[in-house]
Amino acid sequence: MRLLLKINGETKQWIIAPGDLLLDVLRREGYFGVKRGCETGECGACTVLVNGKPINSCLMFAAQTEGCEILTIEGVEQGGKLDSLQEAFLEYGAVQCGYCTPGMILSAKALLAEHPDPTEAEVREALAGNFCRCTGYLKPVEAVLAAARVYRTQKAKPQEGRTNQKEKRKRQKSKP
Amino acid sequence: MFDHIECFYRPQSVREALLLLRKVGKRGRILAGATDIVLQADRSTRFLVDITHVGLNYIRGNNRGCVLGATTTMAELEHSPVILALAGGILAKAAAACGSIQNRNMATVGGNLANASPAADTAAVLLALDAQVVAASSRRKRKITLADFYSGPHRTGLNGELLEEIVIPALPGGGRSGWAFQKLGRTETDISLVNVAAGLQADAKGRIKWARIALGAVGPTPLRARHAETLLLGNTINEDLLMRAGVAVMQEVNPISDGRASAEYRREMSAVLARRALRECATQAGVPAGSGA
Repeated sequence: MRLLLKINGETKQWIIAPGDLLLDVLRREGYFGVKRGCETGECGACTVLVNGKPINSCLMFAAQTEGCEILTIEGVEQGGKLDSLQEAFLEYGAVQCGYCTPGMILSAKALLAEHPDPTEAEVREALAGNFCRCTGYLKPVEAVLAAARVYRTQKAKPQEGRTNQKEKRKRQKSKP
Repeated sequence: MFDHIECFYRPQSVREALLLLRKVGKRGRILAGATDIVLQADRSTRFLVDITHVGLNYIRGNNRGCVLGATTTMAELEHSPVILALAGGILAKAAAACGSIQNRNMATVGGNLANASPAADTAAVLLALDAQVVAASSRRKRKITLADFYSGPHRTGLNGELLEEIVIPALPGGGRSGWAFQKLGRTETDISLVNVAAGLQADAKGRIKWARIALGAVGPTPLRARHAETLLLGNTINEDLLMRAGVAVMQEVNPISDGRASAEYRREMSAVLARRALRECATQAGVPAGSGA
């Protein structure tokens, strides 16, 4: 069957089998940032945003996304420039092996779109469906909170250069 | 894994869905959030009927109660002002307890009931709220009370029918009432080891007019602890009464042992969670039970 959807801003038409899972189709089409993890909806490594909402692509049939807009980690950077969330994950050392990172960043992106000023508890809840088996959640949580601050200053001041510098200096200082 | 699926249908109305279901018969499966169906990977399924575009996504509240469309997601229940205002928000609380955000964005309330897991979090709450489900086929439509809906683990009274909506009748008015939902799980996103939904109302003298206690994951189906409910009637809430209600609850549940917990632990925790829930209800109703474990 034919599947028509928008992915990372591009309209695509794919031929799929009616029982194909979204995870399999996305990887077959080259979106390798969508990770195959537990395949039982527990780990969140396969998280993508469907119409802005995080879902586990291992538990969704591709056919369910007809006419939907999908965002994968490949679509998070804009014109070769990393998103503030990606920058913050690098800056804060929130990436170790990196397998859970795409899912975490997408979950965080959905959170910040709805709650630009989340509490730490809200960040932790938003990431509760994304398992990290390397190191833990402290640094990802710090990174999301830092990215939220950057998002907010970007929104407040369209000439973002300066505020970014300021943020960076603040982060440098707070490092042990 | 799903190469046995021959066709994926996307009906645009309930009527179209019902005709399709009649056509595909037992080899067809109704699909909403997909989270349970993908995990079950039933190889006898040849046709999937996606009902998320048939117009069953709604929450309608009025003074006679509340009606939920079957494909309303857990995430939608969690944030709905109608659901947050209903019975102390316990249905919103239970919906928020159904796994991670990713799964709550997909999973639907109709699916949570129709899948008939004994541990379904919204089932315990809807059972305590005396909810009914509307089951439809191409020939007829009928109402089934949730208490009669379940016949065993993953077994319901649905006979090739579509669970169309869930009706929550008006709650008893008059104040001095309280509601609570309690869940015990290994982690934030794990399935319940025990869940309890409870509600009660006190009269002007602080005596209990009615009480409802529903439990999940401690029997073949979600269940009501009717003896414990009866035992509370006409009494004022105190720790001694709560202890006796807890004992009654333990006698009414029938849990199994599995990889997550033993039957003995689940039985013990049924009483603990029921007491916590009742205490919470009593506090809300303005007749607190006093301090205690």
